[in-house]
Amino acid sequence: MIQTLAIFVDAYRALNARKLFWIALILSGVVVLAFAAVGINEEGLSFFGWQTSLPPNTAIFPAELFYKTMFLTLGVNFWIAWIATILALVTTAGIIPDLVTEGSVDLTLSKPIGRVRLFLTKYISGLLFVALQISVFSAASFLVLGLRGGVWVPAVFIAIPMVILFFSYLFCVCALLGLLTKSTVASLLLTLLFWFAIFGVHTTESILLWTKVSQEQRIIAIQDDIERREQELERMRQGDGRGIGAGVMDAVRLPGRERALERQRERLVEREETARTWRRVHMGAFAVKTVLPKTSETIGLIERWLIDLAELPDMQEPPQPILPEEITEDAEDVEFMDPALQENVTREIQERIRERSVAWIIGTSLVFQAGVLGIACLIFRRRDF
Amino acid sequence: MVKPASGEYVIDLDLVSKTYKGDVQALREVSMRVHRGEIFGLLGPNGAGKSTLVKVLLTIVRPTKCSGGMLGEPVGHKPTLARVGYLPEHLRFPDYLTGEQAVDYFGALAGTPRRRRRENTDRLLALVGMEAWRKKKIKGYSKGMKQRIGIAQALMNDPDIVFLDEPTDGVDPVGRRDIRNLIVALRDEGKTVFVNSHLLSELEMVSDRVAILVQGVVAKQGTIDELTSDQRRYEIGCTPAPGSNLLQSLRAVLPARFEPTPEGETPTRLVGALNNTGESIEVLPMGLITIGSADPERAQPVIDALRGAGATIRFVRPHRPSLEDLFMQAVTDPETGEALLPGAADQKKKPSRPASAGGRS
Repeated sequence: MIQTLAIFVDAYRALNARKLFWIALILSGVVVLAFAAVGINEEGLSFFGWQTSLPPNTAIFPAELFYKTMFLTLGVNFWIAWIATILALVTTAGIIPDLVTEGSVDLTLSKPIGRVRLFLTKYISGLLFVALQISVFSAASFLVLGLRGGVWVPAVFIAIPMVILFFSYLFCVCALLGLLTKSTVASLLLTLLFWFAIFGVHTTESILLWTKVSQEQRIIAIQDDIERREQELERMRQGDGRGIGAGVMDAVRLPGRERALERQRERLVEREETARTWRRVHMGAFAVKTVLPKTSETIGLIERWLIDLAELPDMQEPPQPILPEEITEDAEDVEFMDPALQENVTREIQERIRERSVAWIIGTSLVFQAGVLGIACLIFRRRDF
Repeated sequence: MVKPASGEYVIDLDLVSKTYKGDVQALREVSMRVHRGEIFGLLGPNGAGKSTLVKVLLTIVRPTKCSGGMLGEPVGHKPTLARVGYLPEHLRFPDYLTGEQAVDYFGALAGTPRRRRRENTDRLLALVGMEAWRKKKIKGYSKGMKQRIGIAQALMNDPDIVFLDEPTDGVDPVGRRDIRNLIVALRDEGKTVFVNSHLLSELEMVSDRVAILVQGVVAKQGTIDELTSDQRRYEIGCTPAPGSNLLQSLRAVLPARFEPTPEGETPTRLVGALNNTGESIEVLPMGLITIGSADPERAQPVIDALRGAGATIRFVRPHRPSLEDLFMQAVTDPETGEALLPGAADQKKKPSRPASAGGRS
């Protein structure tokens, strides 16, 4: 306990000595002040108390949702998950290289503290940076949202564990690289590269998911269209008691409708084949993503817990029909860029992403982290210094 | 928590070997014993394996083969390190710490309770002469000042054994004397001090026992008296009577049998044995006679003979090889007379010279 406490106190001293720690804290304050500067009421937005008629207003966007969205987009997604994380990595990347520097490592290892414990304690001390930053930021945001916006949202504190988790995924890689390279700059740059690679995998998977869901939505639209056409054909063949005139018209239209139905069925087969291909491709990307840490999803969990989908104005509207409700002579195809399709796909994707369990998002990321830390501990335990 | 080591030895190593990647043999079957409460000097040329041996004891380097232990526990037993202090070579402290914080931090890592750390910090900073600088950041310290802080932190846990790797490195002459005095004071307190150093004269001044490590092997080990006992001799300086050839006249008067000089050659020195005792004797042209014995009685017949021949005796003195002489003998290849290559990297076989003084004692 004496040793663990000493390492944490030393970590605080190291952070305190680095100007970046204070710069990041000041910038956090600036971001929180930005929340305080913006207000919303039934007339529109206000800045530093200066009322404007700029949208949105509380009629469209409830105040609580507005502030929660601002906290998420400006505070978490932009500031904490990007800028502050880069600053945190710059500040903490030297922790492990400093530990394994000649003249420092031999002195530390000569003390009665196990190597694994020493490494993990140093690693956790690196997380202190982010823990302090996000705690101060969340507390300040909570107060500003409450005092300025009149909405008290204790859920903003969920950002503390989520951001620490998110940073820990990156910092474990940074720690391993620091151990291997013994260089602060190399470990920092390689970690940023790794982060970029994760982002690339995430983006690729998202695009593939979007494509897959689009195909599925198009199939659903065509299936609905086929069902309607089949019902209509059945009605036309049975005469449906609509009179002789109508029956004659139906008899004239029948061959054309049957051809249209056939074309839709052929189209359905093609679409299903395409969808299967995209499903396989997406599955591959998803498998790659599964073994990697879910940085974006972990941050996304804050949004999931902070905002209910039902609160969002555009989510309250029912799904749009993709193909025209009226059956046409020709077999309609679903346009890829059809706005109704896009909207339904977006809604579907949001739901699917939200359906991804917390256990999957955090669990698989922690498995990755445990693996990386396990390798690092093994190397640190066996290495001669 | 702190318990005394059982037995006479604080370090008792048998056949310690360390082979680094690339088949670099840093230590080859090193056996070594260090007595409780002594100052033990470990010397050797660069790359001989001195630091590696200390690092093996302190769990910084994992031995390839090792038996024996330190303070009654096997090598690698981490809790034992709570009773050990260490000043590494090329010591590096975090720049953001003050001297006081550094001493406290490493004391805490050694598991020393806070109250004892506070007491020891004051005492030790005064002991190493750094009290006035205790609140200053280490980044402003000189090399010698950092060394002093390093010594203070090594003593924070009141250790039974202290390892000092090049303790006077970068320290000015006054500081060196202070450190020597400190080492002796620690020994007088009952602590064992294990010193790694290149500075042979300093080690000679304070060490009770030494070991010379060459190419990963203990070449010599023992007290300086033990190591030099078979090389002590008497030296007599003389000036022959006027008009006589020095070597010729001494050959005639000295009670000794000298090896004959090849015919037609002018002798450059005389080598032989005393008549009565058989001790070796060597005569050099400048009038220096060396008798291979530490017993003053053996020199008397030679002195008598010189006086009888009218020679002027300028001095008579016992001669003991210095630690530097021992060191140079250990690091010189007896076959070629050249210094052995530094390091153990390319040495696939053991040095031909067997370890004198038993290799262990």
